[in-house]
Amino acid sequence: MSNIFPKSANQLPLQIILFLVVFGGIVTAATTYYATPKYTRIGYAPVQPVPFSHAKHNGELGIDCRYCHSTVEKAGHAAVPTAQTCMNCHSQVKNQSSLLAPVRASYESGDPVEWVRVHQAPDYVYFDHSVHVNRGVSCVECHGQVNEMEVVTHTKPLSMGFCLDCHRNPAPNLRDPKLVTQLDWEHPGGKEGQIADGEKFVHDWNINPPQSCSGCHR
Amino acid sequence: MKRKVEHPEPSARELSGPRYWRSLDELVETPGFQDKLAREFPDGAADLNGVDRRNFFKLMAASFALGGMGLATGCRRPEANILPYGKSVEGVIPGVPQYYATSFPLRGAAVPLLAETHQGRPTKVEGNPTYAPYGGASLMLAQASVLDLYDPDRATTHTLDGTASTPIAMRDKLAAINSAAVATGGAGLAILAETSSSPSRARLVKSLQKKLPKAIWAEYDAVIDTPPATAARAAFGKNVKPLYRFAKAKRIVAIDADFFHAESGALGYARDFAKGRRVIKANDPMNRLYAVESTFTLTGSMADHRLRLASSHMLAFAAALLAKLSGQSSVARLAQGLEFKDQEKWIEACAKDLVEHKGECLVVAGAHQPAQVHALSYAINAFLGNIGSTIDFVEMPQSNVATLVDLAAVAKAGTVSTLVVLGGNPAYNAPADLDFAGVAGAVSEVVRYGYYVDETSALAGTHIAATHYLESWGDARTADGTVVPVQPMILPLFDGLTELEVVARLAGSDTIDPYSIVFDTVTKLAGGNAQDAFRKFLHDGLLDGSIYPIASVNYDQAGASALFAVAPSYKALNKDSLEVRFVIDHKIDDGRFANNGWLQECPDPITKISWDNAILVSPRLGRELGIEPGGAAIQVARKELAEYPQGKENAFIGEVTVNAATVRGPLHIQPGLSDWTMVLPLGYGRKVSGRVGQDAGFDYYPARSSQQSEFATGATITLTGERYYLANQQEHWSMEGRDLVREANKEEFDSNPNFVDSFGIESHAPANLGKDKDMPLAAAAAEIPRGNSLYKTPEFDGVHQWGMSIDLNTCIGCNACVVACQAENNIPIVGKEQVLRGREMHWIRLDRYYSDGKIDAAAFGGEGNKEIPEDPQASLMPVACMHCELAPCEIVCPVNATVHDEEGLNVMAYNRCIGTRYCANNCPYKVRRFNFFDWNDRSLDQLYMGPLGEKGMPELVKMAKNPEVTVRMRGVMEKCTYCVQRIQQAKIEQKVKARDSDNVVVPDGTIKTACQQVCPVDAIEFGNIKDPESKVSKAKAREQDYALLGYLNIRPRTTYLGKLRNSNPHMPDYDDLPLSRIEYNTKNHPSHGDDHGSGHGEAPHGETHGEEHGHAEEPSDGHTSIMKNALRTGGLS
Repeated sequence: MSNIFPKSANQLPLQIILFLVVFGGIVTAATTYYATPKYTRIGYAPVQPVPFSHAKHNGELGIDCRYCHSTVEKAGHAAVPTAQTCMNCHSQVKNQSSLLAPVRASYESGDPVEWVRVHQAPDYVYFDHSVHVNRGVSCVECHGQVNEMEVVTHTKPLSMGFCLDCHRNPAPNLRDPKLVTQLDWEHPGGKEGQIADGEKFVHDWNINPPQSCSGCHR
Repeated sequence: MKRKVEHPEPSARELSGPRYWRSLDELVETPGFQDKLAREFPDGAADLNGVDRRNFFKLMAASFALGGMGLATGCRRPEANILPYGKSVEGVIPGVPQYYATSFPLRGAAVPLLAETHQGRPTKVEGNPTYAPYGGASLMLAQASVLDLYDPDRATTHTLDGTASTPIAMRDKLAAINSAAVATGGAGLAILAETSSSPSRARLVKSLQKKLPKAIWAEYDAVIDTPPATAARAAFGKNVKPLYRFAKAKRIVAIDADFFHAESGALGYARDFAKGRRVIKANDPMNRLYAVESTFTLTGSMADHRLRLASSHMLAFAAALLAKLSGQSSVARLAQGLEFKDQEKWIEACAKDLVEHKGECLVVAGAHQPAQVHALSYAINAFLGNIGSTIDFVEMPQSNVATLVDLAAVAKAGTVSTLVVLGGNPAYNAPADLDFAGVAGAVSEVVRYGYYVDETSALAGTHIAATHYLESWGDARTADGTVVPVQPMILPLFDGLTELEVVARLAGSDTIDPYSIVFDTVTKLAGGNAQDAFRKFLHDGLLDGSIYPIASVNYDQAGASALFAVAPSYKALNKDSLEVRFVIDHKIDDGRFANNGWLQECPDPITKISWDNAILVSPRLGRELGIEPGGAAIQVARKELAEYPQGKENAFIGEVTVNAATVRGPLHIQPGLSDWTMVLPLGYGRKVSGRVGQDAGFDYYPARSSQQSEFATGATITLTGERYYLANQQEHWSMEGRDLVREANKEEFDSNPNFVDSFGIESHAPANLGKDKDMPLAAAAAEIPRGNSLYKTPEFDGVHQWGMSIDLNTCIGCNACVVACQAENNIPIVGKEQVLRGREMHWIRLDRYYSDGKIDAAAFGGEGNKEIPEDPQASLMPVACMHCELAPCEIVCPVNATVHDEEGLNVMAYNRCIGTRYCANNCPYKVRRFNFFDWNDRSLDQLYMGPLGEKGMPELVKMAKNPEVTVRMRGVMEKCTYCVQRIQQAKIEQKVKARDSDNVVVPDGTIKTACQQVCPVDAIEFGNIKDPESKVSKAKAREQDYALLGYLNIRPRTTYLGKLRNSNPHMPDYDDLPLSRIEYNTKNHPSHGDDHGSGHGEAPHGETHGEEHGHAEEPSDGHTSIMKNALRTGGLS
């Protein structure tokens, strides 16, 4: 009767607990690292139907963001431009390029070019571009250095924590609204200068970003 | 290398015998088949779905590599696309709604609207504020009409002889009808249309009548909402119609007139009435309403003196009133036999009051009343000098159309070969004696133009699908004659034809494009530069100066007398000879909105029954029939109206026989009905309708005859013994002597404007709950105790602090807010079965209470409680989430799904909600709604199907949703958000405007909640209570402001303004307190129950009040259990 379990079995409960702790720890660590927007979203760079280069148009040629994303100051959406906007230039420049064939087809037929979405807030988030850019939050804060991107890439997590970091402490990310589309701009006074100016803006412009649910969820 | 298989040659027997073949290829021996035969397997069959081993390993290597990258690809959301326009559309900014002026046509009057469109998709309509008489308010029906546009059950195709057809075929058909009619001068062609106010249609009809003089143009509407023209013609010798000016009237007598709902232009009337009703401070003027009515209408619920009288006795009443006023004996004979309680005194006091307000009083007769009653009311108004001040007459164009009666006679004689039914639904709602089916049968061809495939379509060979008004070009007139545009917001979803095009084609006009027709009509009316005028017309949404001209009229005694030369018609009623009154349903009108789920689910404002139309009987008749519920429930102070097993009203089914027809329906005992009148609401019991309207309720149209279409006498009722469940959304009807709706008479208010704080538990509670409840927010945050709770009092430090004020004195209880809220906030419908379980989702509801002042002191079991009130006062109260500052729902939520934001909103985070429903349980106002099912994703018959059911919302229904509001899923709680999407949008717009300045405070009046915007009487104010100058702050600063259940110390942000009744002390039914107050006093001060004035009613003693009773160890003046219990349990300390 007494010999059913070998002596080494005495260690078994401890081993099981140890295993569970280690295994649970690994699963937890893996989940917190791999299953967050920081990991899953950053680096997403889908192939677009037209290989549009922001580096070329914005970085090199210096076309302002708002030339194409013209609604960004007026609406919640920073609308992707219509084919007509592209054709403003490309009816003259590279008007035979095969790469631009989908744009020309869209302009002719009215059917949209099927751009692949890179940055996407969930349906239950009502993000509004206009209020951010008009109050001095630059495009670069959420979209990264788009002016250097050949292919648009997701560079910030855009998770709720990411939003709240800034909503709780907006000073490091505020600049003169005139400068919001200058993605290369950095405060001449360095980090301290930015914070000092940012805090001044927070006070002077009554910046009071919502931190409750109702700010973004309706 | 492929191995070649050599088959042996076929034997001779094989070649000569019957040949079997497996395929045609084999039979004809194609080269491909020969090749296939030669192979062991077909080409590629050995490959793995076209991938060979080599490729397989290549692929697997790639996917391992991807897998090695971690969860990046696996967890990513599915790829989404952004689809911009090919060519930019002028004025369209994605995500920013656009507003266009249009209007909602309904019979002879339209409601001017602004339609909100999201990239060409109309989602919501609001009143057009440019039209001053309606001031931006709109109707419940207009609000719900958006849903009809996206109704999957509407006629989605044209039909020709039972098969689907095309618009081109329909146009040919109409052209063929026209050319056939031209050959005969129109003989044989008859057109039956609904009445319409459209000037363009009137013009086309005129041209049709000119071109086809022998054609018959008839118009029919199932309900009458304009006074009969014959009365005005007799009284004034002119074709005029009255426009009432309620705003100027200080004394109003409504003779069976529901001018809040059933009259054409009711929206403006309700609005004007509220202007005279609104009382800001003590001694402000307030109008007085005498309502004489057979049924219990909203107008009756607002009345200061309400007299129950059968509809058929109104003639006698009007005559008696005129006789009393003018002393004319000529009309007195019409009043013969009139009999009601305190008759002499009632009429005398009322007449005296009117005479004292000559020129500023008004007598209104209901549109459904016969011409004699109207002529009498004109005579009374003329005698009192009201014409030109409180009542104007406008000249109406003489209409030259036939009636349905004429048409039926001609058609039955066999002289009509083609009948075109333009809209309407005569097969369902024509008077039974006209036998519309027979009429249609006597005609060789019936062409039907309609929005739904319905009862009439079933009789027609051809069905032309109509467009919705939001898809059509058109025009219309409001009740006062202002021409307004009907502009399309979207191309016809199902290739429908507009009404103007159909009429133009029938008339053989040269212009058949509806836009051009409207352009021609309007520019001709406007004059000046046509293009400019038309653009202005579309922009403003109305044509300036197109109002009907006011006619100067003189009362013509002789003309009117001719009308009175009828035999006195007074017939006494009793339980064996009852009166039946047919009323237009409050929600689905004459049945045209039967397939609209929002309207079906909206409760009737008085009975609170949804999805059904019960036959209303008076408590007296209920007693006679023996259908009064037996046994008073112990736990409530009153006996219920009917049995409510598990919250379902279990009604008896009765059969009403009148006009030689019998109709059946469930009986609902309705307090306040004239004893021997039964009310039959029309519009339900549709036999051919969509999924929503089909078979909902009961059809009472068969009991109508063309002679007695509004009310009929000589009816009988029998019980069938069957029972039927009614989805009644309010089972309970008594305030139990509590202080929920706080009312006072005008005199008491004038001497004690703060009456609301001198009764109710607050009058005994610490001052912060009563008098000082409006203390500054900063002080409130610091000083208000929150019981012994560990929870912190919110700091109220946001830029704005939102609050709402609802004026119970002007609220007429019309339910427009309920439907407007539903449209704005994507609130689903749940169907009758679920309403029976109490799962309706409305975020705002209207509580309706009856009081008759007879509550017994003993409260539980006294005699007074065993009577269903026959003559009650009704008090209505809109209740939505109050956004309590110390919200009880928040402290019980285990997952922080409902929390406070910095601006005082009690917000719901749907993603956090796990559906414990604790919050709903802890809400004292019962305003939280739970998604028991995926209402949005499942049709109502699929709710219980679980995983087997069909899921997904039809595309068409998706289009009706407001993109600014989350569509909620199963298992989450929801409730009023104060229209947080509108608040956020306004704040964002203000911040965009502010840019690098600090001007971020939204100006007062920018934000209107959906309920506030629709409200016909402006009873709701919403805004920033931090700003003392805002309208809502001013409303809350008024003395009659109080919080519902304020003694709970939860500090609701929505407060109410007390209700006033302006009773006439000389009237026989006068009480110095409203009946609900009498009940309150009787219950709470039983020792001096009949001494109403003493105790709390008296003038300025509020200050000392708290002390007076607060310290009392043993309340000596008889304060009863509530107070004692509250003190004992420490609920108030």
